[in-house]
Amino acid sequence: MRVGIPYFGYDTIALKGFIRELGAELVMPPPTSRRTIEIGVKLAPELVCMPFKITLGNFIEALERGADTLLMAAGARKCRFGYYHYLQERALRAVKSDFRLVPVTQYSAYEFIFKLMPALFAVPPARVLRAVYHLLIKSALTRDLRRLLNRSRAVNFSQAEGLKESALRLIDEARTAAEMRRARLELNRLFARNGKEPAVRVGLVGEIYFTIDQAANQEIEKELARLGAEVLFERCLYNHLRHLLHSDFGYLRSRRLARTYLRACPGGEAIRTVGEAIWFVRQGVDGIVHLFPFTCMPENIAIEALQRLTESSGVPVLSLSFDEHTSNTGLVTRIEAFVELLRRRKNARRLSRD
Amino acid sequence: MKIGLPRALLYYRYGQLWQRFLTSLGAEVIISPKTDEAILNKGLACVSSEVCLPIKIVAGHLIELKDKVDAIFFPRLEYLRDGLYACPKMIGVVDVARMLLADQVQILSPTIRGNFVRAHIRAGLEICPNPFRVFKAWHQSSRSLVRRTTNQELETKAGKVAGVVGVISHFYNLGDEFISAAIIKTFIENGYQILTKEDLPAPVLLDRQGFAQNIRWVYERELFSAFEFLLGRVDGFCMVVSMGCGPDSLVAEFIRERAQAESVPFLLLVIDEHTGTAGLVTRVEAFIELLNRRKRSSASRCRAA
Repeated sequence: MRVGIPYFGYDTIALKGFIRELGAELVMPPPTSRRTIEIGVKLAPELVCMPFKITLGNFIEALERGADTLLMAAGARKCRFGYYHYLQERALRAVKSDFRLVPVTQYSAYEFIFKLMPALFAVPPARVLRAVYHLLIKSALTRDLRRLLNRSRAVNFSQAEGLKESALRLIDEARTAAEMRRARLELNRLFARNGKEPAVRVGLVGEIYFTIDQAANQEIEKELARLGAEVLFERCLYNHLRHLLHSDFGYLRSRRLARTYLRACPGGEAIRTVGEAIWFVRQGVDGIVHLFPFTCMPENIAIEALQRLTESSGVPVLSLSFDEHTSNTGLVTRIEAFVELLRRRKNARRLSRD
Repeated sequence: MKIGLPRALLYYRYGQLWQRFLTSLGAEVIISPKTDEAILNKGLACVSSEVCLPIKIVAGHLIELKDKVDAIFFPRLEYLRDGLYACPKMIGVVDVARMLLADQVQILSPTIRGNFVRAHIRAGLEICPNPFRVFKAWHQSSRSLVRRTTNQELETKAGKVAGVVGVISHFYNLGDEFISAAIIKTFIENGYQILTKEDLPAPVLLDRQGFAQNIRWVYERELFSAFEFLLGRVDGFCMVVSMGCGPDSLVAEFIRERAQAESVPFLLLVIDEHTGTAGLVTRVEAFIELLNRRKRSSASRCRAA
């Protein structure tokens, strides 16, 4: 069995480790590129949201490389995401017929560990359990890497950027829990703080795919870091897994904080987006960057709440919606203007304080 | 007490019921005027530009009502029985309304979580503290719930005209003349009878057979079931979708594929606030021409055989 999965930012490494540990051959598509998006756009319905199109492109490219089993997360109820796999399978069948697309339902950990995965990979549940344990550690590692990277890139861009590849390889090669522990120590050593502080700090909130996948959001974290802004984030695979295992306390906090604006969950990540934004504001960030795919339903409700948050707290919010026509130049210009605004505000406040 | 009802979204299904319920509770009910350019513009000014047209319109109605009433009755439909959800925007728009207007007018928004009656009784108690009166009001007004036509009526209705077109769209699109009057009028002027999901009996819409059971949005399931039911009973389908409607963007695709497989004519109209009536009418007329031609050719084939 040759398994293909779509890309998911830095967390792809953790997912890759998971599939490998279950004893399947992994066929990764080439990194998400202009071509990937073009393929996806061509095959997808016009009005559907962007993650659908990008993952569809990933799948086509994985099939081209010889994958025969594709794994796609499924199971959100109010959001379009839960229905992706029906349409993706149909779109893929139009191109190739000898494959299967397995929707991985997220909301029952029991079913995932004891039924779905053992049946799919022909392994005992104990092995799945161990793989999930390693997946958790590894995704925590990728989260830590992203945090360290964002911080050190903001103060010394070229040096941190140079360390990125080796750090990613380090995590990728760690197989056992002990090796992962060593990798964590090594990471902390690589990205040791040098006493410099970033110019501004920005909180990143929004739809999960666009906040996590660096190819989808056109490396917005990198661009922000280049301008000297440290990006704080809460959304990552680790927190999502914790959420699925009913132990994500950040979500409870988000729900409590977001209640000022949203009393019922409109599905997707609207509650998290708003809750995390309020949390970041309380942490004293200089600005909030909000990412979502064009026409994303829950995030459009969140925009309204974020606007009220800006009015009440004075922290600027930049809402960026992405579709296949979003140009990198336009994006960078907007970020530059935003970071410039944050810097000025910060300086003005410092001056008025002194 | 003056209570306002925005003439948008759920109003087009439950409006009559709400009006009667609130009136018998002793409130004066003020329904916002029919949607027009001015109302839409008010809505556009205050919500995100990416939401769908019905949400922009409802925002306009809320703004329109805010100075005229003491409270706005704007229930939130989260899910109906069977855990069938409303769309995220419909759930969230109530919060948007509160964010926009909470400091200017009271918003009565009972949340419907599976139990339609309980939510309304609760809201009723907020308006009128006497529980007997609330129950009585509910009892009297709930009889006015939209009565759907039965199967037999459909057959006879369909028999009289030359052709029948299934218009697949949400009730809040079809009910709002501002959105869909031009489309419906063009069909009728050209001698076509239209059938919408509102004309179908309730059991058909809640059908759980086949693919429909995978759809977890209540109104999308109705759309799909209505389509499945009308397949083979009508000459063609016209689907009206508002730009940015998330659920429709998927369900339209399911329906389009199915219609293609059955080789039934299918027209997808995507509308937003910039859509001109003339363009829509032209497309509908072209579609009608196609239907007529199919009819003629199949009739001549019959004669030849």
